[in-house]
Amino acid sequence: MKKTFAAILGATMMTAPMAMADDWPTRPLTMVIGFAPGGSTDIQGRVLANVMEEYLGQPVNVVNQPGGGSAVAFTRLKNTEADGNTFLFGGTTALTFTPIITPVEYEIDDFEYLAAVALGQNAIVTSAEQPFSTFDEIIAHGKENQMTYAQQTPLDEAIIRAIAEEEGLDLAIVPTGGGGGMAPLVLGREVDFAYSGGTHAQYTPTGEMVVAAFMSAERSPFYPDTPTLMELGYDYSIEDYRTIIVPQGVPENVKARLLEAAEYASESQSFKDITEGNTFFPVVFIGQEEMEANVRRIRAATEEVMAD
Amino acid sequence: MDFSAVGAAAAEALTLASFIGIGGGVLLGYVVGVIPGLSRSVAISIAIPMTFYMSPYIAISFLIGLSKGTAAGSAVSAILLNAPGEASSAATALDGYPMAKQGKPKTALQIGLIASVMGDILATIILIFVAIPFARVALMFGPYEMAAILAFALVFIAGLSGGNIFKGLAAGGLGILLGTVGLDNQTGLPRLTFGYTELMDGMPLIAVAIGTLALSEMFVQSEKLRYERGTMSVALKKDDSDRMTWPIFRRILPTILRGTGVGTFVGALPGLGPSVGSFMSYGMAQKAAKEPERFGKGEPKGIAAAESADNAVIPAALIPLFGLGIPGNVSAALLIGAFAIHGITVGPLLLRDNPELLYSIFAGMILASVIMLALGWFGLMFFAQITRVPPHVVIPVVIFFCLAGMMLQGYGTFGLIILMGFALLGYLMKKYDYSFVTFLVAFIITPMLELNLRQSIILSRGNWEILLGRPIAMFFIACTVLALVTLIIRTFRTDKAAAGAPTSE
Repeated sequence: MKKTFAAILGATMMTAPMAMADDWPTRPLTMVIGFAPGGSTDIQGRVLANVMEEYLGQPVNVVNQPGGGSAVAFTRLKNTEADGNTFLFGGTTALTFTPIITPVEYEIDDFEYLAAVALGQNAIVTSAEQPFSTFDEIIAHGKENQMTYAQQTPLDEAIIRAIAEEEGLDLAIVPTGGGGGMAPLVLGREVDFAYSGGTHAQYTPTGEMVVAAFMSAERSPFYPDTPTLMELGYDYSIEDYRTIIVPQGVPENVKARLLEAAEYASESQSFKDITEGNTFFPVVFIGQEEMEANVRRIRAATEEVMAD
Repeated sequence: MDFSAVGAAAAEALTLASFIGIGGGVLLGYVVGVIPGLSRSVAISIAIPMTFYMSPYIAISFLIGLSKGTAAGSAVSAILLNAPGEASSAATALDGYPMAKQGKPKTALQIGLIASVMGDILATIILIFVAIPFARVALMFGPYEMAAILAFALVFIAGLSGGNIFKGLAAGGLGILLGTVGLDNQTGLPRLTFGYTELMDGMPLIAVAIGTLALSEMFVQSEKLRYERGTMSVALKKDDSDRMTWPIFRRILPTILRGTGVGTFVGALPGLGPSVGSFMSYGMAQKAAKEPERFGKGEPKGIAAAESADNAVIPAALIPLFGLGIPGNVSAALLIGAFAIHGITVGPLLLRDNPELLYSIFAGMILASVIMLALGWFGLMFFAQITRVPPHVVIPVVIFFCLAGMMLQGYGTFGLIILMGFALLGYLMKKYDYSFVTFLVAFIITPMLELNLRQSIILSRGNWEILLGRPIAMFFIACTVLALVTLIIRTFRTDKAAAGAPTSE
């Protein structure tokens, strides 16, 4: 008798919040974007928010919280209530890379990585008017001439510096402060080659810019003939998963609903059209288990590169 | 030029839907512009979701109309309240507010409006007919040229403030110091952030600009209210002499044309932005004037120079956007996002693949200018009434908007504290006669100057002879040196004069 009572009590205690959460969400949700409006994360996020809104039946409001390559947004996210009503959409570099070089107030374990819906396409680009277009040609040219490279993050700089040392290049590396600053330097041939986090999608269709190699782990479906650095024999990659992230401790069923919404979005035509058509980011669906492992694996690999 | 496409574009621009869309954009922009604390980029980012349900043409024209509206609207609060709605209208306040105090608020507003609209339309025409084929010229401005132009802008604009050179150096130095806060561009290591994640991208511009300009002005005004009740509101009589006359227009026309030229040039170069444009134009107008000492005391040319350049920057920033796909400034970068949401990739291909859309947008831009003129002209009567609202009502409302605008930026309580800090700084600077213009310009220019200078030094590998092959950079370096020398000579002379006969303000 006592046991049954306890069981019933347990069941009601379990179901009461469950029943409430089953019709979650009951109020508008907030999607945090860690970058200023207008960038690729922002564009993808806004479309994703629209599609998730369709599925969840509640408005999904986009809030931009720029600063320190999403570090500000992650700091805030860590301190928000873990009810799933506020979640972040964006890359994971602020977790796999930023904490290595800068003191920040959050760590990988403060968050859960529900689902990745798009893959970043980090690349090495050069102008079509240069005498070289493939990565091998860049290296060959560099063995004869002084070369210049435009970086955007200390990570891509560390990789290129390591390769230049390996190949014996005389390389000067300049900062650009982002994709917007990179484009004029490459197109005006002020630098020989440069890092691009996705900006190249605006310039390769016109034939002004050429992707020499991808820094991502796999080839891009949109440039099937361009190899990755790994394929060229350099053991470096920069992986960027555009992921839906919540603070640790969100109820299971809320997470499940968010995951469903993410899966629905990854199959939605409008999300695909904009993400693939305009930013050349392949749309994927990678679930929580794989993403948790990915984030930790990339962090370990990055620590290794930066330690050199 | 494809004439059937132009015809179709004009037809689309004249539909009712486009009138409502563009008119709505301009009106919204005007209101945002008038309110200090709400900035153009905030307005655009809030408005982007509103465009999801519009056709691409109306959506883009709506957003461009919004930008144009903010540039014109920000002059209103600059002139009537001495609290510019945007940092780029700070130069407008220098002469606009004194003129309004002299009992000519409507004239000042009309000059501002006419200069805005003319700068806007002329720059749009330059964008359509001249600039797109020649957009590649912007690529000739590499890091060396940009560094030289920025150094020139810094010295030239700082030279405007006049007054004591040591106070000027102190204000400029503080601006430069605060401009270096944030993550180092290359190494990613934090500089002067004191462990605050919020400062990783530098001091938030809106806190610095709105704090030192608008909020501090409210402190000054409330202090005045305390001791000399009622001087803030300009007595608005039914005065027929308070309007812009034909002779005034003829007098300011060359200034407007020069301002448009400066604004177009600055806008077409990626990264410079409207604040640099309006201050540079103001400085050139002052240099060219026969009686430069009248500037800052209600000179119509001062308003015309600042406003025409401020508005000319908006269409001109689209020159590199449409020609090369490179945004000229923050609002243009936001437009790329808006285009992408509507499935359009901006860049040189737009003209080839989608000429109807491009011409429709141009037609929409001209329409936006015309609507802006009508709205501004008739709204003038309404806006001028602001001066009749007693200051004890205006001041709290403006303070509220400043704080609310800061909250919208997503910096939270931290942002409010920073904002208050800069308001206090601005108040002290105004009280002890340090040039806040020099401070602000130094703050805005420093990060760009640092980046371009570092790029130049690294790319040249420290070899200055590379400049010999860079005539544009050489020209601006010569200008910078000239401006410096003039500044030193002027200080020397004023010091002598001041020693001989102490002048009073």
